[in-house]
Amino acid sequence: MTTYLLRRLLLGCVTLAAITCIVYGLARNMPGNPLTAQMGEDPSRKITAADYERMQRAYGLDKSWPEGYLQWAGNLLQGDLGRSITRKQPVTTLIGERIGPTLLVSGTAFVLIWLAAVPLGLYSSARSGRPDERLTSLLLYALYSFPTFVAALFLQVVFAVWLRGTAWELPLFGMSDLPADAATSSRMLDIARHMILPVTCQTYVSLAYDSRFIRANMEEAIRQDYVRTARAKGAGPWRVLFRHAFRNTLIPLVTLLGLSLPSLIGGSIIIEQIFTWPGMGRLFFESIRERDYPTIMGLTLMFSVLTLLGQLLADVLYCLVDPRVSVA
Amino acid sequence: MERSHGFWGEAWRRYRRRPLAMAALAFVAFLVIVATLAPAIAGTKPVLCRYKGRIYAPCLGYFDRRLEPAIFTKDKFRGTYPKNLAEKDPASWAIWPLFFQDPYRSVRGDEWPGRPENPAMDQGRPSWTNPFGTDQAGVDVLAKMVHGTTVALLVGFVSMGIAGTIGIIVGAIGGYFGGWIDMLASRITEIVMCVPTLVLILAILAIIEKPTIWHTMAIIGMTGWTGIARLTRGEFLRLKGSEYVTAARAAGAGPARIILRHILPNSLAPILVPITFGIASAILTESGLSFLGFGPPPPSASWGSILNGARSNLGMWWLVLFPGTAIFLTVLAYNLIGEGLQEATDPRLREARK
Repeated sequence: MTTYLLRRLLLGCVTLAAITCIVYGLARNMPGNPLTAQMGEDPSRKITAADYERMQRAYGLDKSWPEGYLQWAGNLLQGDLGRSITRKQPVTTLIGERIGPTLLVSGTAFVLIWLAAVPLGLYSSARSGRPDERLTSLLLYALYSFPTFVAALFLQVVFAVWLRGTAWELPLFGMSDLPADAATSSRMLDIARHMILPVTCQTYVSLAYDSRFIRANMEEAIRQDYVRTARAKGAGPWRVLFRHAFRNTLIPLVTLLGLSLPSLIGGSIIIEQIFTWPGMGRLFFESIRERDYPTIMGLTLMFSVLTLLGQLLADVLYCLVDPRVSVA
Repeated sequence: MERSHGFWGEAWRRYRRRPLAMAALAFVAFLVIVATLAPAIAGTKPVLCRYKGRIYAPCLGYFDRRLEPAIFTKDKFRGTYPKNLAEKDPASWAIWPLFFQDPYRSVRGDEWPGRPENPAMDQGRPSWTNPFGTDQAGVDVLAKMVHGTTVALLVGFVSMGIAGTIGIIVGAIGGYFGGWIDMLASRITEIVMCVPTLVLILAILAIIEKPTIWHTMAIIGMTGWTGIARLTRGEFLRLKGSEYVTAARAAGAGPARIILRHILPNSLAPILVPITFGIASAILTESGLSFLGFGPPPPSASWGSILNGARSNLGMWWLVLFPGTAIFLTVLAYNLIGEGLQEATDPRLREARK
C-alpha cells in the first residue's frame, strides 16, 4: 500500500508539472498582459513607456515564458504562490477570501444533493417500471439535460423580475446587500436569501445525475445471486433493498464522491459568473480576463491537485471498502 | 424460419421499441432539415429569382457570403431584395423564404408590403410579425434561431468527431500495447482531464487571433476526448486477451489489423454511447461559451449568444425562453439517444428486460 501511494504521488507530481507548464505557457501567450489589460479598461491609468518598462521588469514580465515558469515553479517549491499583479495581494490570501463563499454554496448544494439523491435513487429502483417511477425518472432526466445557465436565467427572470415587489422576490446577484457592520443575524439571513438561487442551480443537475447513478448501480446489484438468496430466505423487500443491495452499491458511490471533490472547492465558473457570487470560479474567470498570471497559476494548481487527490482518494477508498479489490 | 439479424440489426430492433429514443432521433432529424433549409425558411434573400434574364439563388449567401451572386453586389442591392428586384428589372420574379426576417439585421418598415419595422430595444415582445420576439438590435429571434441550428448541429458532430478520433486512438494504443506506452497514454489522458476545460478553452480562444466557430469546435473536441479514451482503453484491455484475438494473432495478423478489424468493431457499441452523450455536452459547452460572450463573432448565429443578450435585460424573457428551450430539447434529445443506444447494445441490460 505504501509503495503504491508513493508511486501515485510521484506520478501525480509529474502530471502536475506538465499541467502547470501547459497552462503557464497558454496564459503567457494570450494577447496582452496584466498591465495592458488594466489600462484598456481605464484610460486614466495610462502610464508612460518608461514606467511600463519598469513595471514589466518588476513583475518579471520581460522574461520569456519558460523562464517565467521556472521562476514560478522555484517559488512554489519554497511555498510561495506569488502575488496577484492586478489585485496587489498574495494569491494565497485571495484564495482564502474566495474559498468561503464557494464552500457555502457548493457545500450546501452537496448536502442537499446527497440527502435527496439517495432516497430518490432507492425509491426509483424499488418501484422500477411502475408508472410513478417512470415519470420521476423522466423528470430527473429532463432536469439533467437542462443547462444550468438557462435555468439560472429563468430563475432570475421569475424571482427577480416577475416577482419583484412581492414577498417571493429574491436578490438578483451578489452575496449580501447589507453593510459589513450590520447585525450578524440579519446579515446571515440576507446571505441565505442570496444563496437560494445559486444553490438551486448547482443542486438540480447533480441531483438528477447522482440519483440516476444510484439507480443504475442498484439495478445491477438487484440481479446478483446474493439478493436472490436474501429474498429466498424471506427478507422483506425494504430489508433486501437496504441491507443487501444498497450496501453493495456504496463502492461506486465512493468513487463518485472522490471525483466531485474539485467541483466542491473549485466552484462553478458559470453559476458564480451569472450570480456574481464572490467565489473561486469567478476569481478564475476574472483572473483570465485580467491576464493575472500568478492567480491563474495558483488556481490551476489548486484545481489540478484536487482532481488528482480526488482520483487517488477514490481509488484508495475503493480498496478500503472492497477487500476484493487490490491496489496493484 | 426467421432470418437472424446481425448485431446492429438486433440493436436497431431493440432501439426502435423505445418511443422516447425514437422521438429524440426524429427531433434530431428535424433539426438537420431545419439547418439545411434554413435560408429557405427564414431570410430576406429570394430562394430563387429571375433577374435580367438569368436565374439566381441569392439565399445561398446565408451559407457563405461568397455564394451570393456577384451581380447583386454590382447592381447595389445592399441586401434588400424585394424593392430592388422590382425597380431594376420589372420582368423579374422571385420565390421568397417562408418567413421574411433576417437573422443578422433588423428588417425595416418599407421592405416588405404590410410588414412593419422590427421593434428594437426592450420593445420586441413576441407578436405575429415576430413570433419569438426581437432582440435589442431589432433582429428577429426566430430567424436567428433557425440559422443557429446549423451551429448547434455542427458543434456536436464536428467536436465529437475530433474527440472520438483522438480518444479511440489514444485508448486503443494504450490498451492494446500496455507497458510504457499505456503509461504514457494514461498520463496524457490524466493531464488533459485535470486542466479545467473552460479555462483551457478560454485561454486558447484568446490566443487565436480571429476565433471562428470552427476553432471553438476544434478546441471542444481536443479537450473532450478523455472519457472516450479511458473507456476504449478498458474495452481493449478486456478484449485483447479473448480467444478470437489470439486466433487472429496466430493466423498472422499484425497489431494494426487486430486493432482495427478485430477489437475495434467489437468495442464500438460501448464507445458510441459516451460519444453521443459527448455531443450533448459539446452543445452545452458551446452555448455556455456564447452565453459568457466568448462565442463565435456575429456573422454566425448561435443559440447561446441570444441568451447572452438577456443577461443585460432580464425583462426580455423571450430571449431566455425560446433559445433556452431549443438548447434544452437538443441536449435532451442527444441524451435520450445515448441512453437508447446503451440499452439497445449493452448485453447486461438486455438480459434484464426479459
